[in-house]
Amino acid sequence: MTNWKGITSNDTEYERWKREVSELDEEIKSFIQFDPDLGRKLTDSGRTGREGMLEGIPFAVKDNIAVKSFKLTCGSEILKEFTSTYNATAVEKLIAEGAFVAGKTNLDEFGMGSSTENSAFFNTRNPWNLAVVPGGSSGGSAASVAAGMVPFALGSDTGGSVRQPASFCGVYGLKPTYGSVSRYGLVAYASSLEVIGILAREIDTLERVFETIKGEDVMDQSSLSPDSGESGKEKSGKENRKKTIGIPEELENVDIDSEIRKSMEESLVNFRKSGFDIRKIRIPTLEYVVSAYYVIATAEASANLARFDGIRYGYRDFSAENPEELMLLSREKGFGEEVKLRILLGTYVLRSGFQEQYYIRAQKIRTAIRNDFSRAFKDVDLIMMPVYPRLPFEFENSEMDPFSQKLADIFTCTANLTGLPALSFPISLSSGLPIGMQLMAPPFEERRILEAARLYGNIFPVPIPSRHLGSPIGKGE
Amino acid sequence: MFQSFIGLEIHIQLLTETKVFCGCKASFGDEPNTNICPVCMGYPGVLPALNEEAIRMAYVVAMALNCEPNEYAIFERKNYFYPDLPKNYQISQFRSPVGRNGYLDLEYRQQKKRVRIREVHLEEDAGKMIHAGDISLLDFNRAGTPLLEIVTMPDLEVGEEAEAFLQNFRRIVRYLGVCDGNMEEGSLRCDANVSVNLRGKGLGSKVEIKNLNSFKFVRKALNFEIERQTEILERGGSVTQETRLWNENRDLTESMRVKESESDYRYFPDPDLPPFRPDENFLKEVKERLVELPEERKKRLMEKYGLSKLQADFICEEKETADFFEETVNMGADPRVAAIWLASDVQKMLNKYQLSISDSPLKAKRFARLLELLSARKIHGKIAKQVLQSIFEENRSPDEIIEKNGWEQITDRSEIRKILKEVADKNPEIVKQIRSGETKPVQYLIGLIMKETAGRVEPGILQEVIREEFAFTLVRVISMGGAITGEVSEDGTILPGDPAKLISRIKEKTSFNGKIKIEEFSVNRILSEEINPEDWAVLISTIANHIQKGDTNGIVIAHGTDTLSYTASLIFWLFPSPGIPIVFTASYQPPATKEDIRGEAFENLSGAISKIATLGEGIYVYLDGKILSPLNLKFERIGTNGFTNWNLEKPVFSAKGMTSYLSTENFSRDTLLGKIREAQERSFIIKVYPGLKGDTLIRLMDAGIRHFILEVYDTGTANLRESPFSLRKAFNVGKERGINFYCTSQQRQNIDFSRYITSHELWKEGAIPMGALTTESVYTRLIASYILSQSEEEIVKIMEDTGAYTGF
Repeated sequence: MTNWKGITSNDTEYERWKREVSELDEEIKSFIQFDPDLGRKLTDSGRTGREGMLEGIPFAVKDNIAVKSFKLTCGSEILKEFTSTYNATAVEKLIAEGAFVAGKTNLDEFGMGSSTENSAFFNTRNPWNLAVVPGGSSGGSAASVAAGMVPFALGSDTGGSVRQPASFCGVYGLKPTYGSVSRYGLVAYASSLEVIGILAREIDTLERVFETIKGEDVMDQSSLSPDSGESGKEKSGKENRKKTIGIPEELENVDIDSEIRKSMEESLVNFRKSGFDIRKIRIPTLEYVVSAYYVIATAEASANLARFDGIRYGYRDFSAENPEELMLLSREKGFGEEVKLRILLGTYVLRSGFQEQYYIRAQKIRTAIRNDFSRAFKDVDLIMMPVYPRLPFEFENSEMDPFSQKLADIFTCTANLTGLPALSFPISLSSGLPIGMQLMAPPFEERRILEAARLYGNIFPVPIPSRHLGSPIGKGE
Repeated sequence: MFQSFIGLEIHIQLLTETKVFCGCKASFGDEPNTNICPVCMGYPGVLPALNEEAIRMAYVVAMALNCEPNEYAIFERKNYFYPDLPKNYQISQFRSPVGRNGYLDLEYRQQKKRVRIREVHLEEDAGKMIHAGDISLLDFNRAGTPLLEIVTMPDLEVGEEAEAFLQNFRRIVRYLGVCDGNMEEGSLRCDANVSVNLRGKGLGSKVEIKNLNSFKFVRKALNFEIERQTEILERGGSVTQETRLWNENRDLTESMRVKESESDYRYFPDPDLPPFRPDENFLKEVKERLVELPEERKKRLMEKYGLSKLQADFICEEKETADFFEETVNMGADPRVAAIWLASDVQKMLNKYQLSISDSPLKAKRFARLLELLSARKIHGKIAKQVLQSIFEENRSPDEIIEKNGWEQITDRSEIRKILKEVADKNPEIVKQIRSGETKPVQYLIGLIMKETAGRVEPGILQEVIREEFAFTLVRVISMGGAITGEVSEDGTILPGDPAKLISRIKEKTSFNGKIKIEEFSVNRILSEEINPEDWAVLISTIANHIQKGDTNGIVIAHGTDTLSYTASLIFWLFPSPGIPIVFTASYQPPATKEDIRGEAFENLSGAISKIATLGEGIYVYLDGKILSPLNLKFERIGTNGFTNWNLEKPVFSAKGMTSYLSTENFSRDTLLGKIREAQERSFIIKVYPGLKGDTLIRLMDAGIRHFILEVYDTGTANLRESPFSLRKAFNVGKERGINFYCTSQQRQNIDFSRYITSHELWKEGAIPMGALTTESVYTRLIASYILSQSEEEIVKIMEDTGAYTGF
């Protein structure tokens, strides 16, 4: 940690930090539950005595990731009163290194949304401009990091839910390779697409957190060890030659905000100056990614969300007269509109007789996209795209209705369909709002991305928003 | 003519320590909701992790059922909402299950068949919901326990066959150690698909039958359903595709839901579980667990140790029994003796103490030693049973028990000879009498010796030593009446007579005297056709008694001609391995009255007596200087060569492997009589003829007949066409009432149900083809079965087993 040091040893400092976060969050509203005392207790009880890599560092956790004794609402009425009995593997690993949970952050219900407006509880505001959304679905995590309340936060990225809010709030957001971080403890939305990601202000923090949480996990059989990547075999020859960044030609056919296009051009100039080759590449399947993504995501969601029925836990409608009705009414009242819409969509595309047309076709497109990317990575080391085609927007923006928001996932959801690692990093400000760009690499090549982003951080340091913790505790050494 | 099709969907609970996708204990009968965790309760954020032991067991079963293992086993989500299903989807398999395209060979009622297995797939079980008044209770202990589903093709035809298949399958999974196969407790569950159609028209409308939680219900429900669908089709109606439930209280199937609203399970691959790819190592482990399966083991035990099918069935029912058996045999025990003991006395002990063989105090070593002591005659049968009892009571070795109780017998021949000499020296009168040819004093001498030694001399060896010492062969002649011992009245008719006359003539006129001693016993002075159950009971118990005591070198039975075929085969079934020769003889004419003519009766009886010295153990029929088999003996006409053997490739005199538990200790004469009477009251022989009506058979059933021996036309055909002369109705009624039909042929040929369509229908209706056996031999087999069995079920088993003896 460059800028943060542990605060467990200094109670005055800890209490001050706690008070300041509480005060600031009254405005931002990034936390659903802010309870660092509980988090510290949890870490203390889980310690082995060894000095950890993240000793005394507070972090925020998106409220769809399990932390023992903390709420696990997923931003939904149906889990409003639900408390987790166990830790997600990623949380467990962070705690083992001495970090502690500050609280649970707001999100679009079950991670379904791009503005955190789909939270069943309240809106989270963007620290850059309180009238603007923080992005989503990990909006609470992004806002808490951007406002300096915590040095990093965990989020989940199913179709861009870490990268897009990171971009909106002007922080780093990493979506690691699929399977590199255990999903155990992440409440599933679309299991084959999502992964736990990291939001941080500093690239070093982000890297250290990633090193801590990654790795194969017996509790998640879809998790993979880094050896599965190509890093080992490719490294030797390419290490010293000039790095190449590929830019998909197809970006020209996409409706991208001119400010964002302009910033992208500037960033390319900067990368070139720093010694990168820029090359056009082709991703012909780009136009199909959003439809394929939503077919697969909603199909999986329809099954993943079936377990919330009021029988064993969660909201239960007591007016029901039999178990079947209980399930029906609890779901009817417990889920929000967007969630219901996606469950219905998913159920529709999985119907027997229709699978060929939707689900199986989407899987074929997914394979084609993977092929496009692996072909492209034969020629380039990194691929760059915008994170989002729109600037951070205001609440209840009529242009950004749920449908437009889905279309705007085009750049982020490719990484989820392919499983590739991707990082959102700030490249500029426009009218007081941050703009992020996205770098992708071959599987398990997170380091390649982080190096490039670190380099770029020297050109464009991460900006600090107006709403920011006055004197972040432990800041500076 | 309709054809029925049955396919089974079998679910078995795998005997893994833990559940299939989490670490919870997979056990049953625990306090509700104690074996649960966030994973099997479907808590938010948890993920399944495949239990390797469960998938290994799944492959073991798939391989045992001859399936092709898939390169990848893919897990899919089967989506449906139900309160006892925690995730509201079940992790199962759909597109790429563990195995496909297997088969299991089945032999049922002598008909061999290959039942194809469509697929074997692994899935998780759901919890249990109980409705108690106006509340519903849920127990999730079972949720997530591993379940293996086995789906067969619709290759089965009748309920009994499906039941037999399921029992075979159960044995296999128990042998493999993957499931305990308890249908009542639900560790083995079965649903069935039934369809009926016109023969040759393929499958009909499929009806699914559920709630079949015992073997009996499988049989009854499927037969009911076939009957129901057949009736609908016969009326010209069509069968509705639906799911029906078996109602065990009303003995019928009831509609549960019509298939039109069939649920769409929206299967898709579970993204949480990567496809399972069995590697070489894994498949090697799987192969190592493929133990020899029950059917193969039965075959091997029959071939290697000469066990009968019935014995092999018993021994191989449980793997531990078969293992125990082979362990005992490997220690030197006689396999057939071991098999008989296991099925009778040992089983009784196990039942009494509620133990299984592997956790009983009877270890293979002790059992082998017990049989060794018995065969060395260190102890006799009665003591052996007491020793067995003591092993169970005291958990000690046979030697310890025998020593403690002083049960060891004197078996040393030189020692016995010494004792005999001592006693004989003290009783010169008796020795003189014996030497002069009398046999009565032999018994007296034995009595004296027994008194002298407090009964510790092994009686059989003593008998042998006495016969050796005095150099004679002792033949018991039992007279059953008939012409052979009869006399001609003044008007020329034949009357029953006194056997003593003929025997004393034989004693006079032959040179047997001194060498062969004849002891005579008359069962009754009757004519052959007058034979009663009492006569058989006396005969059987007399034979059993002599065999038991070992007091004779052989038995000759003088019998009438008319019923000889019955008595000879009955004695064969009861004493398939008697240890001594038993020779039946008869004559068409009574003994000659003129002094200078020896005559047919004389020749046959004296010939039979003289044969005793040269024949080995077995049952023989001696007539006209020839030896015939007691089995399949046909009395074709009066005169020379009037008796022949039907359908025997070579003569059969003994059958070592055939089970016979008969011993005088178990049967008093009265019990025997009761059993014979019961058998006769419950059995009926019918020759099928044009004009025979099904109703006649039904009336006989009403009168208490439970076993019909049907002498059908040639290879097993009978009238089943719709008419008053159709026997189908009788079969259906019989089936409902549990009546048994055994088929024999009117002609001199084997019964074979595979040739004609009506014979296949007979098979479907439950008739048992008796192969090469004649009506007489089948009838006496039935009587023997009654004597040897404790239940009707056992009787039918023995009867079915008989069919396997067509190789005679």
